[in-house]
Amino acid sequence: MSNNESASMDVEVTPEQKKAEERRILVEDISRNVKFLERGIAASEIHYIHRALRVVSALRKRLQPDVLGEVITTYLAAANQQVVSDCLKSILESLGQHAGAAVASAKVCEPEVAMYFGLLAQLLLLDGNEYERGAHVSHVLVAMVSSTQRRTLDPVASRVFFYYSRFFEVVDRLSDARSSLLNALQTATLASMRETKAMLLTLLLRNYMHYKLYDQAERLAAKTSFPPDAPNNLLARYLYYMGRIEAIQLNYSQAQLHLLEATRKAPLNATTAGFQQTVHKVCVIVDLLMGNIPERSLFRIPILKKPLQPYFELTQAVRVGDLSQFQEVVHRYQDKFLQDQVLILVQRLRHNVIKAGIRSISVAYSRISLRDICLKLHLDSEEDAEYIVAKAIRDGVIDATIDHEKGFVKSAEIHNVYATSDPQHAFDKRITFCLNLYNESVKSMRYPGGDHRKELAYADEAIKREREFAQELENEDFDDDVDGDAMDEDL
Amino acid sequence: MSSAPSSQQITSLYETTRAAMNEANPDLGGIKTRLSQLKIGIVQITMQNSQVTHDPTFQLLKRSILEMGAEFSIKTGHIAGFERYLAQLESFYFDNKLGLAESKVMYPLIGLNLLRMLSENLIADFHTTLERIDLGQLQSNQFIVHPVKLEQALMEGSYKKVWQARAEVPTPEYLFFMDILMATIRNEVASCVEKSYASLPFSDAKSVLFFNSLDELLKFANEHHWTVSPSEKRITFPSAVDNTRQFQGENIMKQSLLYAQELERIV
Repeated sequence: MSNNESASMDVEVTPEQKKAEERRILVEDISRNVKFLERGIAASEIHYIHRALRVVSALRKRLQPDVLGEVITTYLAAANQQVVSDCLKSILESLGQHAGAAVASAKVCEPEVAMYFGLLAQLLLLDGNEYERGAHVSHVLVAMVSSTQRRTLDPVASRVFFYYSRFFEVVDRLSDARSSLLNALQTATLASMRETKAMLLTLLLRNYMHYKLYDQAERLAAKTSFPPDAPNNLLARYLYYMGRIEAIQLNYSQAQLHLLEATRKAPLNATTAGFQQTVHKVCVIVDLLMGNIPERSLFRIPILKKPLQPYFELTQAVRVGDLSQFQEVVHRYQDKFLQDQVLILVQRLRHNVIKAGIRSISVAYSRISLRDICLKLHLDSEEDAEYIVAKAIRDGVIDATIDHEKGFVKSAEIHNVYATSDPQHAFDKRITFCLNLYNESVKSMRYPGGDHRKELAYADEAIKREREFAQELENEDFDDDVDGDAMDEDL
Repeated sequence: MSSAPSSQQITSLYETTRAAMNEANPDLGGIKTRLSQLKIGIVQITMQNSQVTHDPTFQLLKRSILEMGAEFSIKTGHIAGFERYLAQLESFYFDNKLGLAESKVMYPLIGLNLLRMLSENLIADFHTTLERIDLGQLQSNQFIVHPVKLEQALMEGSYKKVWQARAEVPTPEYLFFMDILMATIRNEVASCVEKSYASLPFSDAKSVLFFNSLDELLKFANEHHWTVSPSEKRITFPSAVDNTRQFQGENIMKQSLLYAQELERIV
């Protein structure tokens, strides 16, 4: 009986207790992060602030508006700056919470902390599909960034801008955000807020590309410099956008370089699967446009296998050089390519298919009539075939001569590649890559701030020991006897 | 300072100029002066009243004037002017905020602009512009399809198709740029022919390079320093010297020094 009673008690109490417990943990988590922020501000050490931001995504799932409102209220009383308290008030308003009785706490509310609360509020509104209010509170936060301009604000501000732009994107009004982003870019550059600057650049590129303003995007990238020490995930995104722009402007080698780097900068795991898929799609096409064939193993990677299926079939068509197969693949997956915004790039591949076809013919036959080429490649006329082959010869795709009167193509003898300087070029490319990698990794190494002092102390100590040792040596003559005695004793 | 003309004045001036343009033998000088009057008028009105940029009828008038200007530049063969007009028109065509009705000459003008880029070999710009055009139009609008097909043929090397495309232009205005394009293509073909043939008889060379008369061909051959032998009636092309097998000492030296320098930094 008593056993049963206690069991029913448990069932009755548990949900409430659980809820209260959850609230308590949430409040604790938030205030712990705020402590990190405060410590970061006091020591002006960015990495404390990063630590607070790292758990934001974990916090996002558990956030509750009333809890956040409660926490903000406690800080509202401590806000000694007009900007900060105004900001906190509008955050509360957007959450639909009221500033309750102010409980004065001893601490001072820094702008960074207010910004952090703003970020959490943005997340709540975004998840709750309240885009209008989200956009409004974002405006307030962005205004505070430009009026405060502190270096320690940088990491928080960059995330705030991300969600600012996101609010406009979900309601498809991205162009309205552009001018304020550009203004913010100017401020961030002047105040040397590196992370914010990197974020704004990627956001602006995305903004332009959404409207297919590749021209403007390219100009923006040419006129600005991406901060070299930006976080990797921003860098990866930036590289992807650059790669896309360059692919559209036919600058394939640069595009390939940037896209490849983007895939390497982003980790290959479940959370980045979407990014990896998107980048690899463009990367495969650029590879094909350059006349290379992507590795077969790329299409076997589990997270890429399914989404890259159309691209795999496309690659096969280009590799074989079969024009009809190529057209069939393009036709079949047209909607898919359109959705990935690569259809126009894919259509450029047509002449690569022809080139591949000509190359395989030239390898297989030492002499072939233009008529046969025409039939094999499904070209419209013999005259066309002649011009196409002539262009292929000029572009260095094949090494052959055309006999116009007799109407055939004669391939030149295949010469030994190792007799040319090609292998050397290939080696040079790899060596330069390795050296660059080394230099980059040296540059990106981090050294803790006060460490050189420790080393100095250590050096001082070493000198002292040296001196002592020298003195000992000097004294040794006198101590010899004593030592001898001691040794005797030991024995 | 003269006061700005009213919208009505500009409209009536535009209409008379438009009528003058449509005549069989337009008075080009007169149109030119009127066109610049129109442009100044538009600027003056905007300066005086900035609200006017949100007025659809005014914007429509501005667009028509710019379109007429573009048409006029083609008639007079003024390519730089055409480029400027198109740059201004772009904001009307691609960023239609006021919801103006689509202009009838929009696609012909965009097509012309694409053709201009091809003839000036601005392939990157060509593709950037293509990206902004609606996909449905890209595949079906005859004014757009023409330059797109041309570009494909150019990339493949089907120069015969390009030559034939001259006969299939959607409007006569396209011929202006097609003629410029032909000169570019002839040079392209010449560079291909040089590499791929040892020699060619006159008659074949003439057809390959799209010449009508022998004299033109001989003049062209001279410009490219080809060897012409009238007795055999043949053009012989200089064979390219194969310099890939030469030892590139300086290059190797530079590379090795760079490696040494970098390695030293590591050690």
